[in-house]
Amino acid sequence: MVFAIEAESLTRTFGGKKGKEPLVALDNVNLEVKEGELFGLLGPNGAGKTTLIKILSTLLLPSSGTVKVLGHDVVKDSQSIRRRINMVSGGESSGYGILTVKENLWMFTQFYGIPSEVAKRRIDEMLVSFGLVDKKNSTLRTISTGQRQKMNVVRGFVTDPDLIFLDEPTLGLDVNASFIIRDYIRRWVKEQQGKTVLLTTHYMLEADELCDRVAIIDRGRILACDTPANLKRSVSRDSTFSIATTPFKQVSGVGQLPGVKGLEVKEQSDRLEVNFVLEDESVIADIISYITTRQGKVLSLAKSQPTLEDVFIGLVGRGLG
Amino acid sequence: MREQFRTLKYAAWLGWQIESNWTKPWLFIVYSIAKPISATLILVLMYLVILSSSLTRPDIFAFMFIGNAFYMYVAQVLFGIVMVIHEDREHYQTLKLIYIAPISFYVYILGRAVPKIVITTIAILITLAFGVFVLGLDINFATVNWALLALAMIVGLMCICMIGVALAGVSFLTAKHGMGINEGIAGMFYLFCGVVFPITVLPQWGQAVGLGIPITYWLEIVRRAVLSGSGVENIGGLQSYSETEIFLFLLISCALFFAISLAIFRYADRLARKKGKLDMTTSY
Amino acid sequence: MSDWLLNYRAMVGRAYPRILGPWREPSWVLFDIFLPLLGIAAFIFYYRSMGAPEVFTGFVVLGGAMTAFWINVLWSMAAQFYWEKETGNLQLYMLAPMSRMAVLAGMAVGGMFFTSVRAVSTFVLGFLIFNVQIQVTEPLALMAVFLVTLIAIYGMGMMFASLYLVWGRGAMNFSTLMQEPIYLVSGFYFPVRQLGFWVAAAGSIIPITLGLDAMRQLMFAGSDVFAFLTWQFELVVMVGLAAFFLLLARFSLSYMENLAKRDGRLTLRWQ
Repeated sequence: MVFAIEAESLTRTFGGKKGKEPLVALDNVNLEVKEGELFGLLGPNGAGKTTLIKILSTLLLPSSGTVKVLGHDVVKDSQSIRRRINMVSGGESSGYGILTVKENLWMFTQFYGIPSEVAKRRIDEMLVSFGLVDKKNSTLRTISTGQRQKMNVVRGFVTDPDLIFLDEPTLGLDVNASFIIRDYIRRWVKEQQGKTVLLTTHYMLEADELCDRVAIIDRGRILACDTPANLKRSVSRDSTFSIATTPFKQVSGVGQLPGVKGLEVKEQSDRLEVNFVLEDESVIADIISYITTRQGKVLSLAKSQPTLEDVFIGLVGRGLG
Repeated sequence: MREQFRTLKYAAWLGWQIESNWTKPWLFIVYSIAKPISATLILVLMYLVILSSSLTRPDIFAFMFIGNAFYMYVAQVLFGIVMVIHEDREHYQTLKLIYIAPISFYVYILGRAVPKIVITTIAILITLAFGVFVLGLDINFATVNWALLALAMIVGLMCICMIGVALAGVSFLTAKHGMGINEGIAGMFYLFCGVVFPITVLPQWGQAVGLGIPITYWLEIVRRAVLSGSGVENIGGLQSYSETEIFLFLLISCALFFAISLAIFRYADRLARKKGKLDMTTSY
Repeated sequence: MSDWLLNYRAMVGRAYPRILGPWREPSWVLFDIFLPLLGIAAFIFYYRSMGAPEVFTGFVVLGGAMTAFWINVLWSMAAQFYWEKETGNLQLYMLAPMSRMAVLAGMAVGGMFFTSVRAVSTFVLGFLIFNVQIQVTEPLALMAVFLVTLIAIYGMGMMFASLYLVWGRGAMNFSTLMQEPIYLVSGFYFPVRQLGFWVAAAGSIIPITLGLDAMRQLMFAGSDVFAFLTWQFELVVMVGLAAFFLLLARFSLSYMENLAKRDGRLTLRWQ
């Protein structure tokens, strides 16, 4: 098994001089990310996500512990790592306002020694993928926040890294821009063998949608690390349903049916919203039959499952916000 | 009025924080002393390489020394105000937030200039002390015209601040190398306003330019106030005018510059908003 | 790909915005070419008001031209890492595999056009307006002195840049402090020997001190009497200083980067 990232007993503290208590940003973190994985790091503000990324990307030294990225030690062999990684942060304001989108991207490729012709070709292809072709000759000062962040993402991927760190890449972006970025990330990992992504976010939907595995971090500690499905399964085995129906008789009888654990009914002007928890999902057929035999019509049916936020609350006791 | 005062107060507080909280107090003091003394010593060394001693031509030495010392207000305050725009826009990226706040932007800029004025005042006092005790500068404290000096300082500093406001407006429109604005405008005053040499050394047209700038009159008044009775009034090129007349010229030229500066700032401000330059970053 | 090729491309990449910037923001033409002449003119008139020999006019013009390079070293190279840190570019530079000196060399080379235009225009306008007489008897020697001076001061600038990896505004104030005091101890506007031997010798650690002194000897007839040391000796010392500062810069950049990474200040803004 080849690991893109291996951290063992990683600790990072700040301050601690003049008798003050040091701030422990990362506390004995153990982490392994396989090559080819799209790995998520989920946690609230101040959890230590960015600190961890900075250490892995060789911008910050660990206080103790060992960290290897792509087989190289971050302390002793950072130069070897830098040739093969890149990083994109949310809300990034990098680049120079007087240069165009294409010029900024080209400049950053030169820092990785990519031949000009190769760089320009890649940039052109990626600008098409991100819908920035009509902005390629616009200076940074004239493009919108979403366009700028797309450009930042292009900057990260255009050097064709083996491992890319995405630190809240869709922060503050609209639905469309976020979708484009997430879609690109998903395709990139799928289509490129052996490429790894470490994505930090506190949008649980993003982590759920994209990641092969997710680690939940809070106050510098990894609380859990597994696939999103397994993490959600660990919270609850029950499924919650919500059925909207036209009014029908003996509504409370739904709660008496075998397999129904709880019932909540909300009356609205011309309909009922019936919420219930089932031990076994196969009981849903009996419930619908009960409703329809009492002259009720099913208008809609929705199932809600535990989210990663439920997982987090279960682990930590507070939300991701 | 209370609102304006509050803006002034907090802008001054912010300016002081930025000026001073980057290092330990003792290092800040060393820095605040070393800079002005060095600038003065350049001129002193240039003087000594030609005239060998401050006693060779004490009148010229005093003329130069006082002019250069008080000129620090012009250089530092103008530089400070231009830097406010530059830093707030390019580095801290707070310019747009302050701009849209319900405060007077003029008052904000003037408030940010206050700590510069305070620090420069201290630097000038140190420079003057250095001149008196080390270089033999002859200032008779008994004959200093304090009232005239105080009046000149109030009017002069207001004028300098308003010129700074105009330059701040120009800064809205220029890129990072707009720091050359400060160097250029300060250089213009340095050349034409009789700072270190009498304006009579300049060609006629240069003298005419100098006589249109309030700084010329301000420095002349300051010299006459500080070096009262020493005969310095016979060197600067304004010997045919009394203090009262020069003060009047100062007031008139200040009023004119006040109006021009305000017009420049308003125009630049409008243009910057029109062109979307208030939050541009231009560093490269 | 070899390190040389990588660093060459990185240097070209970083030079690019510096070369392009002046064309896209042309306000510098007024502020950085014509207006600095005013300060120089003031010093010339100051000398004239004291009856100084005309050769001092040449000294001032030369000193004024060379300030363009010194200011470029302080603000567009050394302090640049501070600006880059504030805008978020520094972490991307540190992340990339290129050498830090390649980035700084790119800044220097890219800014050279702009700086040279300022310096040359100061020379030309200064000489024309004030009728300065120059007499260059050894043009190759003058070119050598000029180039070695530039290499040495830019090497020094790279060393200063390393401070900005750790410091924040303290380093910026350090740059501010390196203007007037350096103009003083390096004798930008007066012969440095006026400071006395030991002060001038100490000031010679700043390469531009000896550079200016040597250039004066090679450009102005009759300036030998104001010379500190012979220009040949000064050239040799400057070659040594150039090598010293470039090596020191390499070590300092690496050391300071590690220090900044250890303390968590490499990407810390608004220090």
